[in-house]
Amino acid sequence: MNTFSLHGQVVQFLPEGVVFLPDHGALIVADVHLGKSATFRAKGLPVPEGDTHRDLARLLALLAETGARRLIVAGDLFHAPSGITPEIEREIATFLQRLEIPFHLVCGNHDAKIRRLPCSIDSQAFLQMENIRIIHDPRDASGESLHLAGHWHPMVKIPDGRRTSLRLPCFLLRGTTLVLPSFGSFTGGAVIPLHPDDRIFVPMRNKVVELPRELVR
Amino acid sequence: MRFPKLQPFFDARGWKPFPFQRETWTAYRQGKSGLLHAPTGQGKTLAVYLGPLSETLAGPDVCSVLWLTPLRALAADTLRALREPLAELAPKLQAEARTGDTSAAIRAKLRRKLPHTLVTTPESLSLMLTHDDFADKMAHLRCVIVDEWHELLGTKRGVQAELCLARLRTWFPTLRIWGLSATLGNLTEARHTLLGSSFPDSVEVTADLKKPIVIDTLIPREMERFPWAGHLGTRLAPEVAKEIEKANTTLLFTNTRSQTEIWFQELLELRPGWKDLLAMHHGSLDPAERAIAENGLRDGSLKCVVATSSLDLGVDFSPVDQVIQIGSPKGIARLLQRAGRAGHQPGKPSRILGVPTHALELVEFAAARDAMMVRSIEARPPLEKPLDVLVQHLVTCAIGQPFLPDEMRREIQSSHAFRNLTDSEWDWALGFISNGGAALAAYPRYRKAHIQDGRYTVDEKRLILQHRLSIGTIVGDASVSIKFASGRALGTVEESFISRLKPGSPLIFGGRHLVLVRLHQRTATVKPAPKNIQGHVSVWGGNRMPLSTELAHALALRLKGDGQPTPEMKAVQPILDIQKKWSRLPDDDSLLVEHTRSREGEHLFLYPFAGRLVHEGLATLIAYRISRVSGQSIQTTHNDYGFSLNAKRGLFLGEDELRQATSEENLLGDLIECMHTAELARRQFREIARVSGLILQQPPGRPSQSQREIQSSASLLFEVLQRYDVENLLLQQSRREILENQLEFTRLSQVIHSLQQRPILFVETEHLSPMAFPLWADRLQAILVAADATTRLEAMLKELNQAAG
Repeated sequence: MNTFSLHGQVVQFLPEGVVFLPDHGALIVADVHLGKSATFRAKGLPVPEGDTHRDLARLLALLAETGARRLIVAGDLFHAPSGITPEIEREIATFLQRLEIPFHLVCGNHDAKIRRLPCSIDSQAFLQMENIRIIHDPRDASGESLHLAGHWHPMVKIPDGRRTSLRLPCFLLRGTTLVLPSFGSFTGGAVIPLHPDDRIFVPMRNKVVELPRELVR
Repeated sequence: MRFPKLQPFFDARGWKPFPFQRETWTAYRQGKSGLLHAPTGQGKTLAVYLGPLSETLAGPDVCSVLWLTPLRALAADTLRALREPLAELAPKLQAEARTGDTSAAIRAKLRRKLPHTLVTTPESLSLMLTHDDFADKMAHLRCVIVDEWHELLGTKRGVQAELCLARLRTWFPTLRIWGLSATLGNLTEARHTLLGSSFPDSVEVTADLKKPIVIDTLIPREMERFPWAGHLGTRLAPEVAKEIEKANTTLLFTNTRSQTEIWFQELLELRPGWKDLLAMHHGSLDPAERAIAENGLRDGSLKCVVATSSLDLGVDFSPVDQVIQIGSPKGIARLLQRAGRAGHQPGKPSRILGVPTHALELVEFAAARDAMMVRSIEARPPLEKPLDVLVQHLVTCAIGQPFLPDEMRREIQSSHAFRNLTDSEWDWALGFISNGGAALAAYPRYRKAHIQDGRYTVDEKRLILQHRLSIGTIVGDASVSIKFASGRALGTVEESFISRLKPGSPLIFGGRHLVLVRLHQRTATVKPAPKNIQGHVSVWGGNRMPLSTELAHALALRLKGDGQPTPEMKAVQPILDIQKKWSRLPDDDSLLVEHTRSREGEHLFLYPFAGRLVHEGLATLIAYRISRVSGQSIQTTHNDYGFSLNAKRGLFLGEDELRQATSEENLLGDLIECMHTAELARRQFREIARVSGLILQQPPGRPSQSQREIQSSASLLFEVLQRYDVENLLLQQSRREILENQLEFTRLSQVIHSLQQRPILFVETEHLSPMAFPLWADRLQAILVAADATTRLEAMLKELNQAAG
């Protein structure tokens, strides 16, 4: 039920806000924003640490669960230069050691601000896997094949009842581009004004369902 | 005691000082502080101001008096009132205002030199505390006067003022502090809250000028066609228009901003010729729009201003000779305050005309009059230990003048709000502003204040700037500003209202018929609507002020038949007779429970007379406890008089079952469970996060990159704290505030306790009684209690599937 065929590609949505491509054995996440709370603390805002460890552990668990053979981050693995502290570098080093599969980072706008990424991580402008292209900013999409992107942290607003509404993170398919929700625990989102042909998929408990458009209006 | 120096001012006007003015001057001269309780327009300004002025008449122009006002808008009027005696008695001395509205030029002037009398707000005073030379500049300060203290009492701004005053008292131990307050049920407590623990011999002066207040009511001519309850109708508008015609200038008060818009439209429709004589005033209008109404009231060029509580406060509008209250007065103090806006001259009676929107409000007006006679006025309980305000103030102090923790703790505890501060709370607050405190391990590399020679100090320029931008405790709603394409601002509306409109949709705002052009980010662009287009009246949230305990009690007494006959009671008697015939008249010595059956199943109506917030909590609690046993789902509705439960079956309860459902046992636990307090607390956290400095105030304009790096939402922060610093005291504060603000938990527990003693009177009714009918009619409006998002979404999807088929 979490598997959809989009533009001729088999795409499996996971409720944690990530995508698994069974044909390629690839797990794709976007917008992890490691070290975000450290950035806050560096600017004098008392936000506790913990999400870096948590998010990396969540990633490892997802890799084990899906049996993925490669991990791809669609941009914004890191948050800001002031968030790259020695503690966080150690966390990442441990993570990379335990990661036994290839790892690719598509460079996000936040990553681009960091002159030297920790643990000599390499980044690239985009990643091509046969007919699928992984990018960070959905505006960089071109061509007819499927693109996977991040950057927007998409959320959907669902009016319920008289005066309230729900805001939920979602996967947004617009044209040939599938925009992933942000993965980082300490990241927010933005409600994206919808186009008529947009398709929306929301995590609900242990599955991901396509949202009937009547609910969004 | 004689005051020859002040005599010229009174002689020039042919006035004689009132006894309460002499009393205040005498107490001041004896070195005392205190609280002056006087209605507006009673010479209270002269009472508190001339004391310190007479001492400093001959002196140099150094800052001697600090005047704190709760409203920026009041500053200009206050300044005018203070300059009058100053011009007469000491023309060389200056008075100036320093508020958020003050121009940059005057601000710069004030940075160089402070005037003899400085008028300011709690926020601006806090801001001045961050300047290291402020204490030196204030070295000659003799007296602080806090105007409209009743407005600040019970709010975070009030606590901010308490802390600032504590700072000033530490610097200047002989400082005298005088507060001004309108009528309150707890004046003594109000005085102790203002003065803290440093003034054992403070005094309370009452300006008992016997200013009579008359409460009249507009009684509907066709009572039998008047609604029993419920709607905020404009049925009496034609009569109201006639009353407005009779007076020179009328202030028409409503209870909500939406009602203001509705009544404004209604009056214009009835009297199109009043187009330029009618204005409107509410808190969401742009200050420029509000100024139009205020100036029109001051110079008497307007016939009528339709307003909300935004005009409750002290500006002197002498031309106003009539005040009308539309709908429930909600509380006695509030009704008196509003009545006092008319006939501002001493000795003239204040009259207020009550206009009911349904029958039971007639009883409310009669009850308010009774309560006024026996002086049963609402109290405003002061706030206890809001830690978000404390941490903000500590950073303010650490910037201005680094402090020793022990000394500072004594100072903080000299304020009323923090007199019972515990060791662990103090340690937490110090940790929060310095290194993360108790949960140090969770805050690597965090530092705001650091300790230098034992003193807490904040000296990093960026942090100082950031903090100055964030000072204050008022947190705006998620609001959208409304503008014309020309850029002219009209005011703000709630996002939830405007986001439901499409471009091209008509709406009514600020008395104007408009069309939405587009909504972009936080700005809605509008244009005037073509003629004869009906729009949606703008809706704002927060229409939840409950009937006060005192008024509810007076109302219950009236229903019981107590008190002298009045026209209001005569008018509603037929309805009360029906209630008595079909059921009984409820009161607050017993608990009336009506049970009835309809096609919808069973209904239960209960009337505790405890105000809508408490009833909402009680209804939800009882429904939760009953359905836990019966498994039935139960719908609830509530109003200021009582609440109802509706279910398919299982509501025919015996006394034991009902006693169990209203038991005090595990009250808090059950409430937290059934009201989804966790979800609500997350929403409440926004204000706390802002005040405590976890969320930064964004300066206007596009945020810079470094600002964007530290943007986050309150609910994200709430979750992070819950995951990694669950002991954080701000989380507990958020839960406490939600219980008090949304549920009136203290009042609810008192009501539950009193219900234990009250006999239960069960009545099986054949028809819905007049008291029950509005609760039944409201059933479609009941707003579902928020569950977590996934559960709500699941329910919606299920509904959609069922509808499909």
